[in-house]
Amino acid sequence: MANRPGGAMASRPLHFIWLVDCSGSMAADGKVQSLNSAIREALPHMADVARENPNAELLLRAVAFSNGARWHVANPTPVEEFRWEDVEASGITDMGKAFRTVAEQLRVPPMSERALPPVLALLSDGQPSDDWQNGLAELMAQPWGKKAVRIAIAIGADADHEVLSRFIGNPELRPLQANNPEALVRHIRWVSTVVVQSASAPGTQQADGSPISSNVVIPPSDPSAAGPSSAADVW
Amino acid sequence: MTGLLRPGQTVGTVGSPSKCKVVRLLGGGGQGEVYEADLGGRPVALKWYFAHTATAQQRRALEPLITKGSPTEQFLWPLFLAEERGVPGFGYLMALREQRFKSTSDLMTRRIEPTFRCVATACFGLASAFLELHAKGLCYRDISFTNVFIDPNAGDIRICDNDNVGIDRATDAAVGGTPRFMAPEIVRCEQKPCRETDQYSLAVLLFYMLVMHHPLEGAHEAAIRCMDVPAMTKLYGKEPRFIFDPGNPSNAPVPGLHDNAIEFWPLYPSFLRALFVHSFTQGLADPQRRVTDSQWRKALVRLRDAIMHCDRCGSELFYEADPAEAAGRRCWSCRAPLHNPWRITIGGQAVVLNGDTRLYPHHLQATPTYDFSAPMAEVSQHPTDPNTWGLKNTSSVAWTTTTASGDVLEVAPGRSLKLALGARVSFGSVEGVIEG
Repeated sequence: MANRPGGAMASRPLHFIWLVDCSGSMAADGKVQSLNSAIREALPHMADVARENPNAELLLRAVAFSNGARWHVANPTPVEEFRWEDVEASGITDMGKAFRTVAEQLRVPPMSERALPPVLALLSDGQPSDDWQNGLAELMAQPWGKKAVRIAIAIGADADHEVLSRFIGNPELRPLQANNPEALVRHIRWVSTVVVQSASAPGTQQADGSPISSNVVIPPSDPSAAGPSSAADVW
Repeated sequence: MTGLLRPGQTVGTVGSPSKCKVVRLLGGGGQGEVYEADLGGRPVALKWYFAHTATAQQRRALEPLITKGSPTEQFLWPLFLAEERGVPGFGYLMALREQRFKSTSDLMTRRIEPTFRCVATACFGLASAFLELHAKGLCYRDISFTNVFIDPNAGDIRICDNDNVGIDRATDAAVGGTPRFMAPEIVRCEQKPCRETDQYSLAVLLFYMLVMHHPLEGAHEAAIRCMDVPAMTKLYGKEPRFIFDPGNPSNAPVPGLHDNAIEFWPLYPSFLRALFVHSFTQGLADPQRRVTDSQWRKALVRLRDAIMHCDRCGSELFYEADPAEAAGRRCWSCRAPLHNPWRITIGGQAVVLNGDTRLYPHHLQATPTYDFSAPMAEVSQHPTDPNTWGLKNTSSVAWTTTTASGDVLEVAPGRSLKLALGARVSFGSVEGVIEG
């Protein structure tokens, strides 16, 4: 017999989608292996954040893009049940197709009318090889695409910061540069925890009372955590 | 490598002769990471700040807290500063939270399933703890799920993240608060956290724990598609409206979306609902008219006293003293009609007499002292006649009772008075009458 009536407190879905570059260049220097490892490593920390945010029902998905784009994990999956199968690297960088693939799923339906701002986390090491501008336009044409918190991680020196910045679309947030596996682990963990926390409780106000300019406030990532970016770099 | 510190690493402590050895990472938050550590054989918790939060301001905020000491044992209070040459930033040591304490998030998602008595006890503990903190001239600034832990069996509580505590209105805050818990004037950027904003946040947390829902999330919340900063600023700051505002039903809870609110709210006694109404109507707009910690403490101990059990299924229910409010009430579990329980009324307030009821100093003394370790009376079963119940004197002074024929009998310590309707008992400074 239950001790008290009712159920869990009301929550809203928080859709988190990884957009993962699986182009051939990701095979160099173990980048794709580092990425697989970093996402897997971040999952328990992400689950901890989800546990502490009962207002949010965190649901994960992933799109892999190279020659075209495909759902690597298609069903919105609760973080406790989410398993990261390794992605492999080969082919070109059809980032625009990834944007389109996500845009289709951000329509209402299948998206619910009521939700928290989705989080789209883009990881890429190179230049898009397709028409990314139109893909991005399709994504931004969706109300949930526009409302999404869009974060980008640039893997290695050849990532196109201009494209990643256009994806982010917020001058206060720059792409996170990962020049070595350690930085990649930290950035992926930051996205998985701090960004998820911010999207779950988007109203966090700075103590100085400064007005909020975007629809979700993202605290700064720890600059000391980026690691060396010169001779010690692996890539 | 992840984490700011490594297991096995030692860091120095300011004010303690021992070095502190890092054992393992327990978790991370927006400001830093918390580790289990060993201080001279004693297990402690060590919080270490991220580089961007390890500010001189944060350090200055911690020092007076360490000097002042903890308001009550419920606070996992900063004990010593920690620092180490060659390691960026700094941290502080505090008591380690025992395993029996679970997060309030677990309560809200039903991963723990305490009784009503346990939740009421935890709420009472919260009000008492913040009363003591505020009495020291401090304010907490960030009351939320993340910072409050509950023992789902006993109802004890622990409050962590005390590094945001400061002297009320005198020191700067590193935090503005947690969304959904921040007072409307903070959400509107008009005010910084202070005692009155703590009182608002406490009322939100109490409502969450008792009603399993947010007090402002009704029809207005249902109409919001994307819950982002502009939406939350409107809902919790610019146009806040209580979901049970008797003068304005526009933000009533919506069936299907806000069912906990609809189900829990009518179960509680009217005196408790009145305090929430006050908190989230007059207290929303006027910080000076918020329900104070001591009002909550008094009401929550009264809520414990109102717990009764369904005659048919045994579920916990609450006694309603107002006959108009009590009419037609049914058990939330089996729908059986509610009957008035046996109770003792002392100083106008009823204490339901269940098989395990105890009376404490605050019931029997004119000056209330909340000490649950020293019961002064308890309901007891007759040793040879299990159908006869009594009130046993577990205090050190004799009570007196007057029989129907006018004789005065003494109930010495260790003796029990038979529970009978209309029986009156004098506890010295106060008198009780048994009702049913």
